Amino acid sequence: MAERMRLEQVDFHWPGSDMALAEISGTIREGVWLALIGPNGAGKTTLLRLLAGLEQPKHGQILVGGQSLSSYSSRERSTLIALMPQAIGPLFDLKVHTVVEMGRIGRYRFWDHLMRLQRSHRRAVEEALWATDTLDLADRNFTELSGGESRRVLLAMVLAQQTPILLLDEPTVYLDPGHASDLLNRVESLVREQKKTVVMAYHDLSTVALYCDEIWAMDRGRVVLSGTASEVVLDSRMKELYALDFLSLTHPTRQRPVLLLP
Amino acid sequence: MTGLKRNDSARLPGERPKSASAWFLWLVALVVSMALGLVHGSTVITMPQVWHAVLHPASGIIAVIIWEIRFPRIVAAALVGGGLAVAGAVMQALLQNPLADPYIVGASAGAGLGAIGAETVAPQMALMAPGAFIGALIAVFFAWSLSRGRGRSPMLTLLLAGYALSVLFSAVSTYLMLQNQTSLSTIFAWELGGIHGMVWAKVRVAAVIMAVSGLILVPQIKTMNALLLGEDVAHGVGVPVRLSQALLLLSASLFTAAAVYLSGLIGFVGLVIPHLVRRLSGPEHERLIPFSFLAGATFMVLADTLAEHLPPLGIVPVGLITAFLGGPYFLYVLARQQGRRFF
Repeated sequence: MAERMRLEQVDFHWPGSDMALAEISGTIREGVWLALIGPNGAGKTTLLRLLAGLEQPKHGQILVGGQSLSSYSSRERSTLIALMPQAIGPLFDLKVHTVVEMGRIGRYRFWDHLMRLQRSHRRAVEEALWATDTLDLADRNFTELSGGESRRVLLAMVLAQQTPILLLDEPTVYLDPGHASDLLNRVESLVREQKKTVVMAYHDLSTVALYCDEIWAMDRGRVVLSGTASEVVLDSRMKELYALDFLSLTHPTRQRPVLLLP
Repeated sequence: MTGLKRNDSARLPGERPKSASAWFLWLVALVVSMALGLVHGSTVITMPQVWHAVLHPASGIIAVIIWEIRFPRIVAAALVGGGLAVAGAVMQALLQNPLADPYIVGASAGAGLGAIGAETVAPQMALMAPGAFIGALIAVFFAWSLSRGRGRSPMLTLLLAGYALSVLFSAVSTYLMLQNQTSLSTIFAWELGGIHGMVWAKVRVAAVIMAVSGLILVPQIKTMNALLLGEDVAHGVGVPVRLSQALLLLSASLFTAAAVYLSGLIGFVGLVIPHLVRRLSGPEHERLIPFSFLAGATFMVLADTLAEHLPPLGIVPVGLITAFLGGPYFLYVLARQQGRRFF
């Protein structure tokens, strides 16, 4: 499958902090769901921010479509990569529709700021609302939504960007199991049917093993393990990574590994 | 896509209805307030006479009063109110702060110092207005240049730098005022805000500046919606955040400085009007910005007309009228939001 992103010896460190990423290399291919796992402070969110172009690598580079990510303008980048925020707290009562519409702003021209949206934008917004089952929320105020609803709306916003690459940072945190699996199933269909590339930072290893294709396990700013989801989850080094001796079972229907606390 | 009618002219769910009626109402409000302003004044002129003079600009003394005294004054009031309301709405989105007003990052203190400086250096040349214009822009530019760089929260730095600069500039202004007793009352009257003795030449300058800053603002209108979601989210959806913030600040500062150039420091319009418009037609900037301009203009024309017509109180500067009307209204809105009922 075609390559979507390539990381070449990416180094980064936060000014005035020990948090850093070191020598991260790897390839992320089309139609692959990649999970970033690792203990708290391993650098998963930092790596996502770099992949989203929110931070620039100190050394090395991130290539998207054969071209350095930092060479794209904000507008160009927003048509290639979308980062779904965990939560937003808008200052005023924005309508759900307005929030989803923001996924299109990178493609706006002068008049789109004043006039009714062009047909292509309207269609993209409509499809994103449809794909996330949020059409009937569109008229509500964003701040009045429940946790599950607001997460679906944020997914709709990034889907409206119509990017080949989707970055998710703990997309199901604070969601109950029903809403969490609903959201993950939606992402799964994006990966399988639309061949989107998804990079997701996630804590729950069994869920990752169940849904994702590949895993990069991170520790103190480095990728220490990478491979297919089943391989990485069952790797003996996972014990050191989390300082925990997991018990493993096999999922009765999906034949994937499931990890249990000892 | 089953179950959805493929009709591109239809409104999407959640899209607000066409705002044509709201546009119409605000325009009518502005025209009516301007008509009221034309009819009222120290010389008694009846409505038919006003109408005749409007249509025949060269028909005698009444036409001169209408065209050379009342019209410039009303248009100036409209520009001041509209400009300040737009600047306030922009600053609130830019700083993510509902208490932001056009003066918050140092424009008022800079304008004050500019005006007093001009009056001190060249008291005969009536340079207070240009001095204020330049002072306001310099102060905001100072605050902005301090907020640039690699820091994590430049807008917070901008706010704090603006505050610190305001304190500093005000101290210098006070010192100059104390040194310059003769022009104390002139400066004091200017600081209260007023639109006396307006001439077309001045109105034209301000109108051109506001038109330019309007053009800077238009391609940023929906960017402000994105900024309300947070800087990181705005960045993710394709907004060049730092550039947009700089352009928004430039536009708001030009609107503010042009208003200050016309009228001195008029408070509360820029804070209150955007909140009022948000309550009526939502926080989306594609409506908030134009409606704030129209509402601010209407409010200011009415306040200025009222200022001319409070004979029992003598001459009241329009800046005091706006504070008297705006302050209680704002308190009322806040109380309502907390579930209290006074009225």
